[in-house]
Amino acid sequence: MAHSAHNVPTFVVAPPPELEREPLVHNQRSFGWISDKIAGIAEGKTPTWWWIALGISVTGMLMMFGMIAYLISTGVGVWGLHQPTAWAWDITNFVFWIGIGHAGTLISAILCLLRQRWRTSINRAAEAMTLFAVVCAGIFPVIHTGRVWYALMPGFLIPFPNANVIWPQFRSPLLWDVFAVSTYGTVSLLFWFTGLIPDLATMRDRATTKLKKFLYGLFAMGWTGSNRHWSNYEKAYLILAGLSTPLVLSVHSIVSFDFAVSQVPGWHTTIFPPYFVAGAIFSGFGMVLTLLIPLRSICKLEDVITTRHIELMCKVILATGSMVGYAYGMEFFIAWYGGNPYELYAFENRAFGPYWWAYWTMITCNVISPHLFWFKWSRTRMWFVFLVSIVVNIGMWFERFVIIVTSLHRDYLPSSWDYFHPTYVDVMTFIGSFGLFCTLFLLFMRFLPIIAIAEVKAVTPQADPHHPLGGAKLGGAH
Amino acid sequence: MKTIPPPCPEPESGVRYWRGLDELAGTPDFKVFLDREFPEGASELTDAPSRRSFVKLMGASFALAGLGVTGCRRPEEKILPFSKQPEGYFHGVPQYFATAMPTRTGAIPLVAKQHDGRPVKVEGNSQHPDSNGGTDAFAQASILSLYDPDRATRFTRGGNTERREVALEAFTGVAAQFAAKQGAGLVILAGHSSSPSRARLQQAIATRLPQSRWYTYESVSFDVPAQAARLATGKAVTPYYKLDAAEVVVSLDCDFLGREEDNARFNRAFAKGRKVTSAHDAMNRLYVAEALLSVTGSNADHRLRLPAGQIIALAAALAAEILPAGDAKSAAAAVAKPAGVDAKWIAECAADLVAHKGKAVVVAGYNQPLAVHALAHALNAALDAFGKTVELKEVNGASGLSLAELATALNGGQVEALVILDSNPVYDAPADLNWAETQRKAKQVIRLGYYEDETAERTDWHFPAAHYLESWGDARTTDGTLVPVQPLIEPLFGGLTDLEVLARLAGESQYKPHDIVRTTFFALAKSTSEDAWERFLHDGFLAGSASAAMPASVNEAAIAQAIQSAPKLPVPSKDALEIVFHRDSKVDDGRYSNNGWLQELPDPITKLVWDNAALISRKTAAELGLINTEFVTLEVGGRKLSVPVWITPGLADHTIGLALGYGRKKPGRVACFEGKPVGFNAGELRTAANLWIAPAAKLTASRNQHAFATTQSHWAMSGRPIVREANLAQFQKNPSFAKNFDLESHSAHIPNAADGLPKQLYKTAYTEDPEKQKSGTNQWGMAIDLSACTGCGACVIACQSENNIPIVGKDQVIRGREMHWLRIDRYFTGYKEGQRNKLIADENQWKEEWIDDPQVVNQPMMCQHCEKAPCESVCPVNATVHDEEGLNVMAYNRCVGTRYCSNNCAWKVRRFNFFDYNKRPINYGDTSAGMSGELYKGPFAKRGAAELELVKMAKNPEVTVRMRGVMEKCTFCTQRIESTKIARKSAAGASGDVQVMDVHGLKTACQQACPAEAIVFGNQMETGSRVNQWKKNPRDYSVLGFLDNRPRVTYLAKLRNPNPKMPDYRDVPLSIEEYKQMYHGDPFAEHGAAGAHGTADAHATPAGAGHGAAAKEGAH
Repeated sequence: MAHSAHNVPTFVVAPPPELEREPLVHNQRSFGWISDKIAGIAEGKTPTWWWIALGISVTGMLMMFGMIAYLISTGVGVWGLHQPTAWAWDITNFVFWIGIGHAGTLISAILCLLRQRWRTSINRAAEAMTLFAVVCAGIFPVIHTGRVWYALMPGFLIPFPNANVIWPQFRSPLLWDVFAVSTYGTVSLLFWFTGLIPDLATMRDRATTKLKKFLYGLFAMGWTGSNRHWSNYEKAYLILAGLSTPLVLSVHSIVSFDFAVSQVPGWHTTIFPPYFVAGAIFSGFGMVLTLLIPLRSICKLEDVITTRHIELMCKVILATGSMVGYAYGMEFFIAWYGGNPYELYAFENRAFGPYWWAYWTMITCNVISPHLFWFKWSRTRMWFVFLVSIVVNIGMWFERFVIIVTSLHRDYLPSSWDYFHPTYVDVMTFIGSFGLFCTLFLLFMRFLPIIAIAEVKAVTPQADPHHPLGGAKLGGAH
Repeated sequence: MKTIPPPCPEPESGVRYWRGLDELAGTPDFKVFLDREFPEGASELTDAPSRRSFVKLMGASFALAGLGVTGCRRPEEKILPFSKQPEGYFHGVPQYFATAMPTRTGAIPLVAKQHDGRPVKVEGNSQHPDSNGGTDAFAQASILSLYDPDRATRFTRGGNTERREVALEAFTGVAAQFAAKQGAGLVILAGHSSSPSRARLQQAIATRLPQSRWYTYESVSFDVPAQAARLATGKAVTPYYKLDAAEVVVSLDCDFLGREEDNARFNRAFAKGRKVTSAHDAMNRLYVAEALLSVTGSNADHRLRLPAGQIIALAAALAAEILPAGDAKSAAAAVAKPAGVDAKWIAECAADLVAHKGKAVVVAGYNQPLAVHALAHALNAALDAFGKTVELKEVNGASGLSLAELATALNGGQVEALVILDSNPVYDAPADLNWAETQRKAKQVIRLGYYEDETAERTDWHFPAAHYLESWGDARTTDGTLVPVQPLIEPLFGGLTDLEVLARLAGESQYKPHDIVRTTFFALAKSTSEDAWERFLHDGFLAGSASAAMPASVNEAAIAQAIQSAPKLPVPSKDALEIVFHRDSKVDDGRYSNNGWLQELPDPITKLVWDNAALISRKTAAELGLINTEFVTLEVGGRKLSVPVWITPGLADHTIGLALGYGRKKPGRVACFEGKPVGFNAGELRTAANLWIAPAAKLTASRNQHAFATTQSHWAMSGRPIVREANLAQFQKNPSFAKNFDLESHSAHIPNAADGLPKQLYKTAYTEDPEKQKSGTNQWGMAIDLSACTGCGACVIACQSENNIPIVGKDQVIRGREMHWLRIDRYFTGYKEGQRNKLIADENQWKEEWIDDPQVVNQPMMCQHCEKAPCESVCPVNATVHDEEGLNVMAYNRCVGTRYCSNNCAWKVRRFNFFDYNKRPINYGDTSAGMSGELYKGPFAKRGAAELELVKMAKNPEVTVRMRGVMEKCTFCTQRIESTKIARKSAAGASGDVQVMDVHGLKTACQQACPAEAIVFGNQMETGSRVNQWKKNPRDYSVLGFLDNRPRVTYLAKLRNPNPKMPDYRDVPLSIEEYKQMYHGDPFAEHGAAGAHGTADAHATPAGAGHGAAAKEGAH
C-alpha cells in the first residue's frame, strides 16, 4: 500500500534548497515508517494508560447519562434555571461543543481547498474531534426541553406531514438549528469517513485477525489503491471539502442566530455570525491543541506532528483570538454608539455587574492569553501551548456563559432581574459530556489511524518525484 | 337469495341431545329457526331491493347507541341522574350565588361561582350599595381555605376522634347543665363579628344564662376607632370614612389601603379621587405619617417617616394648628413636639387641611393608641368633616369583656366551662397572659375551630368549624347593610357554625343556621314575606338596611383627657429600639397562615413570600452593624425572639416592624411543614401593655443569616421609563407627557389610525378566510391606570384562583420559579448623584443611601399580548401563536418547553413549569431539604391522594391544569372571553351581531377583583368601550413600546399630587430624576423629546435623526 503514494499527482515544484521550507515530516521518515508508526498505535498492545483513561471517561459518560435520566424523569427544575434565566448551562454547553466542532471541518475542508499541506498531520484527529463534539453538542438542545418525548416526536421539531397540518415554526432559529446541526453532523461524518477509506484499507491489509480484517475491510469498501480509486477518491474528497466549507460558516452563524434574532439586549447584535464563527474556530483549535499535544508526546509522533504544526495552529489561535477580542470591543462600541440605553446597560452590566467575574475571566482567557503567541518562545514550548489551549477552552466556555447568562439575568424590566446559580446536576452533566467526548476519542485512537497515513505520505519530500529524495530512487525504503 | 342449507341428518341411535324444549316438541317456530342462519331480522338483507330496510335497521341501532342503551361506557361511580332537571340548572354551566365573607367589623359582599355543586371562585357583589365588585386578597384566597386538607375534619374529645352525634349530644348536655344554674361558670370567648344573628343569640344567652360571661378577643382588633368615637362623642358609634368625598386625606399611621380591614372599600373610594382623565380634573392629595412603609404610605403624595410612638406628637401638632381654642387644643399643644419633624411640614399640611374644610379627612391607624384616634376625631370635627367625609354609624355586632379580664377570671378559678369560638388565643394572646397555661384552668374547654391548632391542643372538646361557603350566616357590611352568608356546598366535614353552637347554648329550638338566619332576617326586615327573603338571598343584601349617619358633637374635655392620659413613648434610639407589631398583609393575624396562595403572595412592599422579618431601616442597620438577612435577638421586657432582619427602604429609623401571624406550631403543612414553622412568632414579644408599639427594645446581632424568598430582588427602576409618572402640575401643562419618555418618539414608524390609536395589526387578520373576518368585530385590549393601582395584590390571587395557578413553595421561589401570571412590580425610586444605572448587585442594594426616603411605584405586569409578539416568532413548534382577535395564545399540548419564548419576552411574564407542581408534593415554606426536597424526587414523590383530591376541587374546570415542561402565561382569561362570545352568538341568532361590548359584562379575573378599578379590559373595536376610551387618554403609553412589539396592554401614567408649599416638595417625581441621569434629558422640556436629546448628549439616545416632526408629535 505504501507504494500508492507514488501515484499522487504533485503540482508543487520543489523550491531551491535555500528556500526550502522546514519539512512537514521530520527526520526524513520513509513511507514505511509512517505506515508502521501510525497504524501501530491502533494495532499494538493496549497500553495501561488507555484503560485508565477510558475508565475515567466512561465513568463520566455514565454520570452524564444518569443526570440526563434524572432530568427527564423529574423535570428541568433539577437544573438551576429560573425566571429570567431560562437558558444557562444547557445552551452554553451546546454552543461550546458546537464551537469546538468547527476546527475539524475547517482544517479538513478550508485548509484543503487552500492547499495548506500542513493540515494532513492533524486533520484526521481534528475531524474525529469535530464529530464527537457534535455528538456532545446535539445532546443539550434535546435534553434542555421541558418535554423531551414531544421534542423528539416527528411533527414537533422535525417537519412531518400530519393530519393536523401543523408544521414546525420555520421562523424560529431553534428550528434552523435542527437543520444546521444535523446537516453539519452528516457532512462531517461523510467527509471523515471518505478520508478514512485509504487508511482503512491499509489497516485491513495489515490486520492480523479475521475479525479485524473483516471489519476494516467492510469499511474500506473494497479499496485497492488503483488509479481509478484514487481519482474518484480525490474528486469525492474535493466535493465534500467544497460542501463542508460553507457549513463551517453556516452552522455557527445559525447558532448565533439563536441569540441575534431575539430582542434581548446583549443578544440582539448583527456582529454575532462572524464573531461566533471566529470564536468557534478559536475554541476548536484550542481543543485540537489540547488533544494533540499529549497525544503527540504519548504516541511519539513528534516527527509527524512537528513543532511547526503546533506553531501554525498557535498562529490560527492568535488570529481568531484577535478577531474575538475585536468583536468584544466592537460590541461595546455599538452598544454605546447605537444609543439604546438598554443595550448599553447590558454591556456595562456584563463588565461591572454581578457577573463581572465571568466577564473578566472570559477577557483574560480569550483576549489576553492568545497574544502570548506573538512570541516564538511561547509557540514552541509544548507545555506552554498546552496550558494556553486549556485557558482558551475555559475562556470560550465562559464566553457563551457570559453571552447567555449575563444578558438574560438583567434584561428590560428590573423587577425580573435575578442571579443564576447552577446546581450539581448542571455541573455534572457538563463534566459528564467530557466523559462522553473522551470515551469516543479514546475508542477512535485505539481502533482507527489517528493521522491520515496516505495524506501525510503525500506531503513528504519522498512523494515529490522532483525532489532529491523523491521518486523511485529511495521511495519505499525503510 | 340466501341458500338454505339442507337439514342436518340426525343419527337415529345413541344419546339424543336437543337444543331446547322447542326442538323436543318439534314446534314449527323451531323449524323455521333452524332454517335460518341468523336470528330474526338479520337475514332480511338477503332481499336485494331492500337497501331501504338496511338503512332503517342501521338507523335504529345508531339511535339506540346514542341513547346509551347499547353503549357500555357506564360511569364507575354511583350516580343519580336528575329525574327532573332542577330549575335554573344547566349541566356544565356555572351558577352564581350571592353570599358574603364575614370579617371582624363587617363583611365583604360576594358572588360565588359554583361548578356542579363545587364553589371555585368568589367575586365581589357589584350590586351591593357599598361595593363595586372588588375584593381584597383574603376574600379571593378564601376558596383555597375551603379545600384545605389540613382543616379540622373531625369532632374530638381529649384529642381522640368522637362521633359527631355523640359530641353534639354531649354539648347539648353541657348547655342544659348550665341552664340549670343560670349559666354560672360558663364563659364564651369569641372574636368580633358583625352578624346580627350572633348578636341576637348573644342576647338570648345573656337572658337565659344571666350569670354566663361573654368575652371578645381579637389579636388584631379594629375597634379602637369605635372606642375613640364613643369617648369623643359619648355615643356608641364608629367612624365610616368616605374617602371619595375627600380632597385632602391625612393618615396617621393608618394603612387604609392595606392592613386596615375593609381595605377594598377604601381602595375603591380613594382611587376615585386619583383618576384624572383630563387636565381639568381634580385629584385628591394624601399625606401619610407612618413608621413602616405601607401600601398607603407608598401611595402618598407626602410621606413622613416617624416612629409609631411619635405619631401622637404629630397628630397633636396638627391639632394645635387646626383646632379652635379650647381644652383639646391646649392639651394637644402640650404634647406637640414630634422629634425631628420639620415644623413647616406640619404647618403646611395643616394649612392644606384647613383650606379644604369639609373636603378633608384625618384617619388614624388601628395600631395607634386611643388618644391619636381621639385627636383624629377632634381634627375631623374642626375640619367640618362629619357628615361629609366621615359619617358616624352604629357599631356592627355586640361586644364583650376583654381577654385580660377572662385571664383574671380563669386564674380566679371561676370558670367551669370555656367555650371558644374560632379564636386562637394559645397562639396569639399577649405573651404575658401565658394563655396556654391559663386556658387549662377552666374545668372544661370546648372549642369550635377551623383548624386543629395550638388552642385545639388544649381543649376537651373540639368541633370543626364550617367555612363561610358551606354554612348559613349573616353579617353587616361596614355601612350597616345586612348581607346573607349563603352556603354553596354542604359542610365538607360536617362542620358547625358559631350560630349552631350558640343556639344550643341559648336553648333555642332552632339549631339549623338557616333557620336562625331567617328568623333574624324577618325580624330585621320587619316582614315575614318569603319574597323578601328570596330577594335578600338573590341580591345578596337587604336594600336600604344601611345604618344612618348619626349626628354627633365632639366632647373637648374627654379628648383633652385622653391626650393627657396617653402613654408617653420615648423617642427610640439605637439602644432602645421601638418594635411595631402589625397585621400581616397576607396571613392577617395567622388565620390564613395555612393558605398557600396567601403565603406565596408577595408582600406589597417587601415582596417577601413565606416569611416575616424584622423590618429595619438602612441607617439603623448600619448603626447596629447589621447585614441584611442576619438573625438578631430582640429583647423587650425580658422576652426574647430570634428573628432575621430585612432592610426595607423608607422605614423610620430605630423602628422595627414585625408582622403577626407567623411562626405557627400547629395548623398544617402550609403554615408549619413537618414541624418547621413559616416565619417567626412576633406574638412572643407582645404583651397586653405593648400590644402594638413596644418601646425600649434591645437588639443583639448574630452572624447567622436566613434564606428569605423574594419575588423581586432588584429594587430600583434604574432610570428606565417603565412606570412613567409626573406631578399633576406637569400633567396639566403637558397631558401627553408620558409619550415624551418613548424611545420611539423620534420616528413615526408606528402608524396611527385616524382616531389616534395605534393601528391594529390584527383587525382583519388572515383576511383570506371570510369566516375569520367576522370575528374582526372583537379585538381585545387592556389598559391599566397606574394612578389608581395601589399594589394591594387582590388581582394576583384572583388570577391564581381563576387560572389554576399552582404554588411552588419557598424553596422554588428562592430559585426564581414562582408561577404567578400576574405580578405587581414594585420599584423604589430614588436618586443619588453619580449613581448611574445602579449596576450594584442585588445583595448589596440595602447599603445604598437613596433607599432612606424613596418613592414607590407599582405596576401590575402580565402578558402584554403583543400584536407582533416576540415569543411567537421564536417558538420552534408553533406552541404560542396569535389568534385573530389579538390574543397571544398558548397551545399547551404543542409546547415542548424550549423556553425561548420566555427569553425573548421583554416583560418576562411567561412562566415555566419546572416541576409537576400539581402532581408532586411541594415543601411549602421549608427550604431545609433543598435539592433533596420532594419535588426533586420526580416520579418517586407521590402526593397524598386525600390531599390531592381536596385541592383538586378548588380548580376551575374551565382552565387546563398544566403539566411540567410546559410554558404558561396570562391568557386574558380566554375562558371568560369564550363563554361571553358563546352567549353573544346564541343571543345574536340570525342577526349576526356578535360583537362583545362593555355592557355584556366581560371582565378578566384581575379586573373584576380590583377594588380600585385600575384595570380595564374589553373590546378595542367598540368605540365607546372603556378600554377604547382609556387608550385614547393622553397618559396612555406602552411599556417598552420602542421594541415595536405593539402590546395590547397599555398603561396610564401615574400622577402624583404634591403640595408645592411642602418642604419635601419635588418638581418632578424621583423616577424622573433617575431618568434624567440615565438619559441626560428632561422629558418635560419644551418640545420634550427634542429638547431632551440636544446635541451634546445625542450619543445616549437613539438615532438623532428626525427630531423635528417626531418631536412635535410626541410633545403635542
